[in-house]
Amino acid sequence: MSIGKLIFNFLIYPGFIFVLLVGGIASFLERKITARIQWRVGPPFLQPFYDLLKLFFVKETVIPEGVNIPFFILVPVIAFSSAVLTSVLITNIFIKSFQGFTADLIVIVYLFTIPSLCVIFAGAVSKNPLSSLGSSREMKLILSYELVFWTSLSIVIIKTGGKITLRDILTFQENSKPIVFSLSGFIAFILSLIVMQAKLGKVPFDISEAEQELIAGPYIEYSGALLGFFKVTHYILLFSLPAFISVLFLGGLNIFKYLLLLIFIIVFENTNPRLKITQAIRFFWFYLFPLGIIGIILAVKGL
Amino acid sequence: MKEKIKERLRERIVKWEEKSKRRFYIQIKKEDLKEVVKILFRDFGFRFCTATGVDNIKNFEVIYHFSDDRTGILYNLRVFTDREKPSLPTITDIIKGAKWIEREIHELFGIGFEGNSDLRRLLLDESWPEGVYPLRKDYEYGRREELPDSLTCSISEGVKEGRTVIPIGPYHPLQEEPEFFELEVFGEKVIGININIGYNHRGIEKLSEGKHWDQVTFLVERICGICSTSHPFAYVLAVEDLLNLEIPERAKYIRSIIGELERIHSHLLWLGLAGHFLGYNTVWMWAWKTREVILDICEQISGNRNHYAMMKIGGVRRDILNSEVDGIKSKLNSIISALNLFKKAVEDDPVIHARTKNVGVLTKEEAINYCVVGPTARPSGISTDIRKIDIKNSAYPLIEFDVPVLNNGDVYDKIVVRVLEMYESVKIINQCLDRLKDLKEGDICEEVREIPPGEGIGRYEAPRGEVFHYVRSDGGNTPTRHKIRAPSYMNVLSNEVSAVGGTVSDAAITLAAVDPCYCCTERIQAVEFNKVKYRWDDLIKLSQEKTKKIRKRLRE
Repeated sequence: MSIGKLIFNFLIYPGFIFVLLVGGIASFLERKITARIQWRVGPPFLQPFYDLLKLFFVKETVIPEGVNIPFFILVPVIAFSSAVLTSVLITNIFIKSFQGFTADLIVIVYLFTIPSLCVIFAGAVSKNPLSSLGSSREMKLILSYELVFWTSLSIVIIKTGGKITLRDILTFQENSKPIVFSLSGFIAFILSLIVMQAKLGKVPFDISEAEQELIAGPYIEYSGALLGFFKVTHYILLFSLPAFISVLFLGGLNIFKYLLLLIFIIVFENTNPRLKITQAIRFFWFYLFPLGIIGIILAVKGL
Repeated sequence: MKEKIKERLRERIVKWEEKSKRRFYIQIKKEDLKEVVKILFRDFGFRFCTATGVDNIKNFEVIYHFSDDRTGILYNLRVFTDREKPSLPTITDIIKGAKWIEREIHELFGIGFEGNSDLRRLLLDESWPEGVYPLRKDYEYGRREELPDSLTCSISEGVKEGRTVIPIGPYHPLQEEPEFFELEVFGEKVIGININIGYNHRGIEKLSEGKHWDQVTFLVERICGICSTSHPFAYVLAVEDLLNLEIPERAKYIRSIIGELERIHSHLLWLGLAGHFLGYNTVWMWAWKTREVILDICEQISGNRNHYAMMKIGGVRRDILNSEVDGIKSKLNSIISALNLFKKAVEDDPVIHARTKNVGVLTKEEAINYCVVGPTARPSGISTDIRKIDIKNSAYPLIEFDVPVLNNGDVYDKIVVRVLEMYESVKIINQCLDRLKDLKEGDICEEVREIPPGEGIGRYEAPRGEVFHYVRSDGGNTPTRHKIRAPSYMNVLSNEVSAVGGTVSDAAITLAAVDPCYCCTERIQAVEFNKVKYRWDDLIKLSQEKTKKIRKRLRE
């Protein structure tokens, strides 16, 4: 296998460029369907890409007075690069030549946390009361959903007999049936869907950037290209998170499975008001976590 | 009741005037003011509406308006103070709701209030020169003050260690108009609030003194785009009170129809915004879509979506054709299914319950103390509705409707009250339209020629509560004093108690739950590719065509 092909795989298809395109289209779909649900017209097809072009090439980047400049600039770049890395790891599973590496599941889950951590740093470094309130909310939100996410992942690991490599989990499902078609697998799937909503920062969990309370929360001081990096991160996550869930629970990824998850996100977003942070914590810890424990017990019993 | 008050006040009354059956003016000495206010507010349980300052040139006069919400009678305390060193005793220690009105009278008339330590500027800009009082008669109409070279804005000082100030406003997605709430927070918890207003002060009361009686109707219509018929309604009622005039029956029904249509569209607007503030954008868009139906009806009746210009001293300006009544009715009743949808959503959605129940509670006691009105008072268990008691020249005494009153005083009850009120409004409009058919077309106005010297008070239940207009005439063709008090003036101040103690998320919806009034008059020009596509005249023409289309569609 040539090095050229490898670079092509990582950078163009099914790597970075592909993921960015799909994420942008997903973002368009999300906005368009939301608009139609709300009796609005909605944006044109290329709007997400226009947004990016505008942010990267037209708008100036303002850096507020008194911040730690290198850190302020690095935070969105780190968020962006970790999101790219995660999605490349996930999509390249589908190329037969790339087998992944042992225990890449753990790596991917850690990488998924980095964009959220960057949001916390972004809020903390901005020196703005609204953004620091936003980052404190994001911190509490991570604390509440990560636990549930790991519970749901451990159900998958138990079901597959202790496999922590993505490729192996996929093969296991190809040989028997997708994990979602069992009771404990179904519970884990539901938990992951809700965590996915929280990780994407969509209603009802858009608590940290709550427009009507904190204007934009942690992003308030970001503008121009730096805001653009955060935006690209969002687009990529909108692809890679559902893809990851789909690989884990639905036995692989194709366009129907992806659209199914995307539509779930959109409908969930449009039929709920925003929760308060205390309510979100209570929801994850006192309702979803016990459910996850029940799921683990069921999984151990083989259900 | 009248005799009882006379009995209690006895020798404190200098002069007792009865301008009409519902308007009593009681002149008292300023030394007795505190005592009398205490008796009226505490012992008789009257609601403090507002206070009007008047410059009589030889002295200053302040009128304290108290309303008996059971009978609809207004008791007005008249006190005089000399011009050299104008000062009155404060009443803020008895009535918290009088805080703003004393600050306002202090800055506009220069009247001091003994015992009130908080007499900061309320409406005027910080750059306004000291010792210049714009509502005094020696301040010429149209005079301008020079702007200072630099303007500074200061946020409250003296915030303790570990506490932060979260600014909501003057520009903020939560507030469509400039208001500035400084939330003092500890973590997420709100422990203090400072409310600043005055960013939108346009000096309407002063402007009104330079317009003749008919023009003022249009001027007050521009106070607000949403309650654009409530202000003229209250104003014409005030002038008719001065004239002691009864208007034709048909005009009464038309007035009520427009007023109630406005209430429905205003409540739908608020309901949508409440959804938006909770992060529930679907409710926002759906409510506003339903609102379009009402706006279409308004456009069909008056030619405009928001500024109807229907009110006129002595009646209304435009008639509703009997042939159009059925079309309006069927269109109006088509929103009932949407209302049912919203009612069910509010009743059933667990997340809405979690976000609004027991949030931003305004207890009955505080509601009385802050003198709140309308849909901010009714969820707190106060049964007050001006339509039931004090609007002679309207259809409200002639038809049947209920006033929903709830008891918890939280945001949830404020939503429910408004949803229920929309059903009542539909009921009222249907009754009015039915009666219209039996009345002769065209008999809509009483001719008014001269406005004699005198004073009058008009009140109307706007969507947000009681709007209060006081006019005084010296027989000329302009009012010598025109006092306006919008309902939000009383309601917004009550956030001092209802927003404190919750979290920042709670504060966002609590601040919005009193439905602060939005000024949305904007002049537009559509620009395409750097060329003006539509000019002002084209826009008017386009809108006229749209109106014609709607009328045609409704007739079919």
